[in-house]
Amino acid sequence: MVNLDQLNIQLSREEKEILRGAQGQVLQKVMETVVLYGEALCAERLMDITGPGHLVIPWSIPGISPPIDMLEELVDAGLQTKFPFTLDPRPPLDFENLNLEPAVETEILEMHSTQDHYDEMMGQLGLRDQAAYTCNPYLPEIGNIPSRDSILAWSESACVIYANSVLGARTNRNGAIMDLLLNIVGKTPLADLLTDNGRRADWLIEINVNELPNPQLLGSVIGTNIQTGVPFLAGLDRFLSADLNEGTRDYLQEMGAMIATYSAVSLFHVENITPEAADMGRDLLSSDYKKCVIDTHKLELVMNSFPNLWDDPSAKPQKCYLGCPHLSLKQIYWWADRIETELTSQGRDHLAVETVLCAAPQVLQKFQIDRKTYQQMLEVGVRFSPTCSETIFETRLCTGKPIITNSNKLRAYTSARFFRDEDLVEILVRGEIYE
Amino acid sequence: MKIWLRFWSGVKFMSNLDTRKIFQGRPVLPGSLEGEVLVTSVGFNAYACFYNSLHADAQRAECADSGNRDLSGKCLNGKIICLSNTTGSTSAGAVWQRIAKLGLAPKAMLFSQTIDSLAAAGLIIADLWAEERIVTIDRLGDEFLKTVTSGDCISILEDGTVIIK
Repeated sequence: MVNLDQLNIQLSREEKEILRGAQGQVLQKVMETVVLYGEALCAERLMDITGPGHLVIPWSIPGISPPIDMLEELVDAGLQTKFPFTLDPRPPLDFENLNLEPAVETEILEMHSTQDHYDEMMGQLGLRDQAAYTCNPYLPEIGNIPSRDSILAWSESACVIYANSVLGARTNRNGAIMDLLLNIVGKTPLADLLTDNGRRADWLIEINVNELPNPQLLGSVIGTNIQTGVPFLAGLDRFLSADLNEGTRDYLQEMGAMIATYSAVSLFHVENITPEAADMGRDLLSSDYKKCVIDTHKLELVMNSFPNLWDDPSAKPQKCYLGCPHLSLKQIYWWADRIETELTSQGRDHLAVETVLCAAPQVLQKFQIDRKTYQQMLEVGVRFSPTCSETIFETRLCTGKPIITNSNKLRAYTSARFFRDEDLVEILVRGEIYE
Repeated sequence: MKIWLRFWSGVKFMSNLDTRKIFQGRPVLPGSLEGEVLVTSVGFNAYACFYNSLHADAQRAECADSGNRDLSGKCLNGKIICLSNTTGSTSAGAVWQRIAKLGLAPKAMLFSQTIDSLAAAGLIIADLWAEERIVTIDRLGDEFLKTVTSGDCISILEDGTVIIK
């Protein structure tokens, strides 16, 4: 057991009792893990978590997910998270939506051979419901929307940065498994982004462009340029609505996910838009902040730096994944409208590239209520899935295949090629890439 | 004769008539051992590095992160990794536990900065839930990372002292 006398972190009487085993050996071990984590982060103390978790561990793949025997130990001890939690998207086992090659399906089944048992245990440990799987949990259809200043222990990097920045909630970027353990004890270390000081901006990013940049591209440029810290973004308020409407939220969600993909950044402020920046303005900047200017030239440099990792670099694209992170309903309608318009303008009635739109189960369900548009999309060759397209590549059997995407996150982790939305619509209809 | 120089809070550097250099860090997961060093100046991504070594029959942990020019292709198991901090991924908690359980983990992780949350989570979970200690020292200072080079032999003491021989 951890030696309490050697710790700097201040613990309550209840926490000390749990550490001494008053509530069982397994909870003692969970608390010990949490306390040592707090000590490592130089936390003054542990804080009570005040809202539901969003965890990054939906798959039962060894090495990526918590080991089954560890989950069994937690379940057998009757432990549960303090609040019901949501999870990242389901593994790609919805083969009817994905039209994968048989070898890929076989591999995915093998990789997820313990998934049913895993899902059952997630339910026992506190999963909110059987549809609580998405990387966009703060959409109204899903409803895991933390209030400002709530104390959380989230892990998925795209969600952590959104919760901190756009919602003004407070969470550190906790790793897989630690996310579950923190939510079980209902406490998280008071350190880093949970503190006022940790939320001050140490970078001023001036976005010097004439039109709203692609969020995926802008996010990756910000992340690549600063790597760590808290950026304060100036210049986006010329293009985005200050009232954080649906369009602005979608934009910031995509941009934030890319910042988090390309860096350790887990919080950004946008001048006149995000809650803390709207309240405090440039007072949020620390006295010794650094400065970085992002212009069109910088964005294009990054866009042109992406390597073509296809086995046949000049192949025609065969498949397209949209929705990493998961699409909102508004974004699905944007794609439906643009695809329809482009097909009409090119005199075609079917997409040349098989296209999969990924979104939360609840969002897809809502879209399907619009039978006419949904049916039109199916007829032109669009498929819909609640999975994570990135996990399809975990089999490695898709590596090097001519797959395209609008996600710079999917591009970063796989061999898929990234294109901006407007360019992608044209490619989907024509089936050709004009370099 | 030994001459002690104090650089900044908590970091000490000792020059000796022999070529030993001594640094003092904070023992996050203490331990005493010796071994060969691999240094990375590029952010260490645990998932990317161990990507090819997570399957049950893996025999060695060859760094699979092609983006890490310092470690790519090098065998990480049994080594002492010196770095500033890790850059991910969020799955690192599970990765460290898995790689420790497979017996393919580095002996020690030596951080020049304060350990980041993802590395702390993963290494502590490996320690308590896989019962495999990867000795972890942080706050060794920038000078440590400038001084140590891949191939050096170093000793680590329980109190967080690191001696480059």
